[in-house]
Amino acid sequence: MPSDSVEEADLHALVDGEISAERRRKIEDHLLQHPEDAAQVENWRRQNAALRALYAPVAKETPPLSLRNAAHRNAAAGPAPIETGAIHWGRPSNSSRTVRRLDEVREARRKKAIISSLLTLLAGAVLAGAAVFAITHAGVSRGSVPQVTFAQGYVDRADVSYLTYVRDSKPIDIGADRMGDLIAALKLRVGFARAPDLSSVGLRLLGGRVAPGLLAPAGFLVYENDNGARVALYFERAEAGPAPRIAPRVDSSLTAIEWRGAGMAFVLIGPLGSEAMQISAERAAAEILAPALNEAPYP
Amino acid sequence: MGHKEDLFQNLDAAIPGLRRYARALCPGDGSAAADELVQAALERVATKIKAKTLGIGEDDAARLCAYASLTALAREKSGGSSVPRPCEREQIVAQGLANLPFVERASLLLVVLEGLSYDAAAGVVAVPREALVVQLMRARAALSSVDLRPPAPPMDGVRRAGAHLRVIK
Repeated sequence: MPSDSVEEADLHALVDGEISAERRRKIEDHLLQHPEDAAQVENWRRQNAALRALYAPVAKETPPLSLRNAAHRNAAAGPAPIETGAIHWGRPSNSSRTVRRLDEVREARRKKAIISSLLTLLAGAVLAGAAVFAITHAGVSRGSVPQVTFAQGYVDRADVSYLTYVRDSKPIDIGADRMGDLIAALKLRVGFARAPDLSSVGLRLLGGRVAPGLLAPAGFLVYENDNGARVALYFERAEAGPAPRIAPRVDSSLTAIEWRGAGMAFVLIGPLGSEAMQISAERAAAEILAPALNEAPYP
Repeated sequence: MGHKEDLFQNLDAAIPGLRRYARALCPGDGSAAADELVQAALERVATKIKAKTLGIGEDDAARLCAYASLTALAREKSGGSSVPRPCEREQIVAQGLANLPFVERASLLLVVLEGLSYDAAAGVVAVPREALVVQLMRARAALSSVDLRPPAPPMDGVRRAGAHLRVIK
């Protein structure tokens, strides 16, 4: 027990550093004469060391993102930042809340998140239903007026082939120097084996390939003018295909002209102007309709 | 303005200690709950700083206010009860802490773990200095009955060897 001049509080103050140097010396002298008090002080120091050892690592952890700037927010500043990409069910941020309230707020936010998720799913279902209705009823609502929808036209298929192949470093499979192989491949796969000669309109045949068609394999011939502009002739058997477009389709970069002939659907597509493309298409159509003249250069 | 920024910087710097204190003060609640306490305390102090209701002129005001807010929030959360909670890691020290009444636990942690002076800790716990010392005495006396020696390391190698080796003569 502490002596008359040294209270138990003094021993605690010694352990906690809450004592002057002069008083410290006096208490240490007391401990030398009272080993039971010295043992008590040593026990408290062990307690301190055990506590610090247990919790010191916490202070070395990197604080969560929500805490790093929490000191700069107040109740009006909104919720804490979301720390992960996981679903965030809410985080308390109002400084006036009690901890008991925090649990209630988290529960309320969780419910709100669940309701929000359900509403999102419902909205998605409504949109999907509307899309299905629009697709399945589009033809019916337009009655007897023939329409070529964007996804079903030969022009669109030709457009896809043009964007896929012509801008590729190897736009053709078989070059014009192997015309026999090209004609044979087109005849075998597409059922139509003519390569119109468009040199009279300044388009030189580079070659061709078999491309995916709308209903069957399609022929795809690539031409090039002196300026390096490439024009493609797309053709596919048109027995069951949609009606052709009446007017050329012109967009910001490509002009496409579609016509029918010899049971095939033809689309000439390229970056030339409408007039040049029209002349080239008429030339191609004439070449196709005059097989006797055309077959001579490409046996 | 500059002083306000200093207060905010002090508050930021206090975050690691606040997390440590919260974890020790609520030993059975886990790190997430402790961090929520810290966040609530920080925001409470930030509001005071912005409202200029925090004491100016004392460099440690923001930090001590954060400790006080955290202590008040934790006390409110525990409902003032001293019923021990089960410890997540079953550690002897943590269990001993959990068994202490709240004010004793807070007083001990503020002085020992956070290094606050008796006066500062008394201010945080909102008791007179003499009362704080009494709380310290009680807490230490209670913990004296707890074996604080670190648990002996498990002799895994011996047990494993005994578990899977057989004597075959």
